[in-house]
Amino acid sequence: MSIVTDLLAKPGVIAAGEYAYRGDRFSYRGELSENHARVASIMCRATTMSVNMEASMLEALQPLSGLLPPRGWLVHGPGYTVCVVANVFCLLDNRKGSINDLVGFMCQALAAIPSDMI
Amino acid sequence: MTTLDDLMKLPGAMAAFEFRGSGEMLEHRIAYPDRINESTLDLLAHMCAANLSIATMQARGWEKVTGMEGFYPIQEFTLIGFDWSVVVSGLQREQYKQAGKFSLPPFMGVVLANESADYEAAFGLLERKEPVP
Repeated sequence: MSIVTDLLAKPGVIAAGEYAYRGDRFSYRGELSENHARVASIMCRATTMSVNMEASMLEALQPLSGLLPPRGWLVHGPGYTVCVVANVFCLLDNRKGSINDLVGFMCQALAAIPSDMI
Repeated sequence: MTTLDDLMKLPGAMAAFEFRGSGEMLEHRIAYPDRINESTLDLLAHMCAANLSIATMQARGWEKVTGMEGFYPIQEFTLIGFDWSVVVSGLQREQYKQAGKFSLPPFMGVVLANESADYEAAFGLLERKEPVP
């Protein structure tokens, strides 16, 4: 099974997808329209690239800081949380799912993904 | 109101800090100076201020475009690094704004070791509601 299929089986996950780091394609499943999923993948990719740039800058200031390479990021809203690890994103309904479980699963499942963003 | 010392009691807490919306760091606590120093925290505070602003803009735009609610206002932004994560929030400022206060508390952040990070506990602490004086 793909990671997207695994994520959709998790409690509270309403949509999940993957994007190419170079930005030319994405795929998704769940409760989003194609256009909204495209917007989500673009925003997630932009933030991922940004935090990687920031981590590189911090690494230049403080070598072996422990931030680089970043694994992902979360945006926690009052109703939903956006979880991104590597090039995989998902939307979680806060009332129905566990952020700790989701982050733990994603970090473990994607631990072997190369960090060169290709 | 949640304090830096409260945040330092979270599992795996390595550091906690307060910062302005401009990214300028104010107060801080560091548990392991050999792993996180003041210079690192200072840049981290600027990074987190930028990421919170961008995430807020994206959440606002996303809600307008999709008609979905529940993303805005951003409660926390979390960056998951290789060894540690940083969780930041400005939610307590929202409570002061809603109470009509002009003087707002700073943003707050905590650095957690990934192996013992409890993101939900950090969110709970940063979202704790207390009477606005």
